[in-house]
Amino acid sequence: MASITVRELSRSFGATAALDRISFDVAEGTFFGCFGPNGAGKSTLLRVLTGQLPPTAGEVLVSGIDVQGNGIAVRERVGIVPEAESPPSYLTAYEYLAFVGRVRKVDDVEGRIDRWIDFFDLGASQDVLCKDLSKGTRQKVMLSSAFMHDPPLLFLDEPFVNLDPIYQHKLREYLLHLREEGRTIFLCSHILEAAQKLCQEMIILNRGRIVASGSVPQLTAEEDLETLFLRLVEEDVHP
Amino acid sequence: MFILRAMLREEYRMHSSYTSSRMMFALPAFAFTIALVTSLALGNIMGAMSLEELLFNVNAGVFLYGVSVGALGFIGRTLVERRQGQLNSIITMPSLLPMSYRSTFLCFFASDAIFYFALLIVPALLGILASLPFTHFSIVSVLSASLSLALSFLYGMSLSFAVSVAGTRSRGAFAIIAAVIIALLLGHGALHFYGIEWLLPTMGYQFSAPPLGADAPLAALFLAATIMATLLLYAAAIIMVPESFQGREARHGRLYPRYFARFASFGSFQPYLAKEMVDLRRSGAVGRMVLSFVIPLTMLSFTGWYVNNGLEVPVGFNIVFYAAMVGFFSVVLYTSLTEVDAHDFYGTLPVAVPRVIRTKLIMFLMLTMGISTAFVLGIAALNGEAGMLWLALPVLYVVSVYMVVATAYLTGLRPNSSLFDPAVLSKFIVISILPSLGLTLMSFSVGRTELAAVAIAGVLVLLLAAAMLLYRRIDAKWSGRGFN
Repeated sequence: MASITVRELSRSFGATAALDRISFDVAEGTFFGCFGPNGAGKSTLLRVLTGQLPPTAGEVLVSGIDVQGNGIAVRERVGIVPEAESPPSYLTAYEYLAFVGRVRKVDDVEGRIDRWIDFFDLGASQDVLCKDLSKGTRQKVMLSSAFMHDPPLLFLDEPFVNLDPIYQHKLREYLLHLREEGRTIFLCSHILEAAQKLCQEMIILNRGRIVASGSVPQLTAEEDLETLFLRLVEEDVHP
Repeated sequence: MFILRAMLREEYRMHSSYTSSRMMFALPAFAFTIALVTSLALGNIMGAMSLEELLFNVNAGVFLYGVSVGALGFIGRTLVERRQGQLNSIITMPSLLPMSYRSTFLCFFASDAIFYFALLIVPALLGILASLPFTHFSIVSVLSASLSLALSFLYGMSLSFAVSVAGTRSRGAFAIIAAVIIALLLGHGALHFYGIEWLLPTMGYQFSAPPLGADAPLAALFLAATIMATLLLYAAAIIMVPESFQGREARHGRLYPRYFARFASFGSFQPYLAKEMVDLRRSGAVGRMVLSFVIPLTMLSFTGWYVNNGLEVPVGFNIVFYAAMVGFFSVVLYTSLTEVDAHDFYGTLPVAVPRVIRTKLIMFLMLTMGISTAFVLGIAALNGEAGMLWLALPVLYVVSVYMVVATAYLTGLRPNSSLFDPAVLSKFIVISILPSLGLTLMSFSVGRTELAAVAIAGVLVLLLAAAMLLYRRIDAKWSGRGFN
């Protein structure tokens, strides 16, 4: 069964088509990458898939749920790391995780918080207000909040941003572990290295359209990913 | 100058993003029309109050409006600390570029003042002028009154700017300044130590200039005093702007679990109310909210006192009238609650906008009922009207609930920016002005006829029913909307 089904999805902002009739499937248990240059529509796509933004046209099913009008049901089942880290200003890191735990009604909230504070070494910062944390620490808080309830499906938008190499490595290892457990992960990024190391299937978006799709080995059979990416984006701009 | 131009462009684009460019220009047209119609109806209004009372009320109202929009110290700090979700603005650039926060705030204030003048003040004044061919007012009087109004607005804005910047430097200083302001108001209103012109010098100008007076030297003196006071407050604010806004990595106690436990009886609202409570405590918003609520009400109370006792014109502002006004002003508190922090992060959680709106409404009720009740009880004690509390308190509660639910329904989590949309503003004015007018007129008859109390009760029942309907319709209107 597909975790994510997208058919003829379009999303416009006024006269600008951020997404233009795209279709793809993400099978359950797949680590799926959505790559593209800046402004390609990756974050818009992620926001539509997670029910934060309604589509202008087309159909989107996430875990069998039509996202149109069922945003809450979708977000109950998934974890989301947004593009811009933005935990609430006046809660501490610990308190924000407690808040998320309570909203998601998870069991053993304190135990789960402790686990993720240990994982990301947030001990020294856990009682600092989120507005006073560094960008990297805020990103760790947002990652923790997405992982806390052990969701079967994760949507990650530029998850490695602002993380130092140690935590990028740690996060990559954890995501690979989730992949082995059969979780579905939808990753948006413009960093192609993540595709090579993590993704099994991927699409390349440019100007709201899919310019390439398939498994990573298939797409890189004859040229490396960077060459492919640059060629496709250039061809799309100058056909 | 280029910073000022850039900020003006930024201000225009930010406001037109709330509606559209065309709708934003509808706002000045709206202000022009309202001012024109009101000027044409002045003859009827002046059947109920004298020109002096009218000019006093209008100047005081415009001054308070300036106070309400001028808290740029707090707004600036919020922007600099990037607590506007993903939005960013020019005022944060000193952290990246060779610019000082002082010069940036100087331009920030100027751009805001220019913007409000262009969008509201100047169109309103033009509306008044446009009524001249149809009224008997002299152009000199109208221009003189217009100058007074414009300066009242700027004076209010600069006062609020100075106090808010002081507040960002020190909560203690803010508390002292607020206490001084309240003491000054009491000194005038309750104790008659000095006239209103010593607090609001534009009134001193107005009393000496056409249409109320013809003492040119005294008028010029008060005009100069107003301009000096405005510039001094502005300069004080700029001097107080800090050169850096670095947050401290201070450790905080775990408030959230404690509040979560306290809100156990609130069912599914429990986690959200706990978060709101922590936000209010840590942001210092409660103090600012109370002040933004109490100051206009204090001015209103002493407007009535001044009219009744100072001008010795028995207008009949009784406790029922004040209770209704407190109820209407409570919208300010809801607005403040929605501005404590950005809501973007809710987009990653299984939460819909109506849930957060209803959480804010519950917080509003918890916060305001105490403050509002204390205010009405205080006014009743001062005026010797405790015998009318049986009617005044229900008026207070029903009007508060109605106004805030209606505002929440119309504007969601962005009342301040939504009200720049003329369509929303028109609906807001209709839902607030009509009941306000009705209750005001009926309150004047309380004590003279039993029918007044019956009529008021009828209005309250209607307002309660309307509030319940709008509360239920919050889901339909806001469910599909995003948080950013």
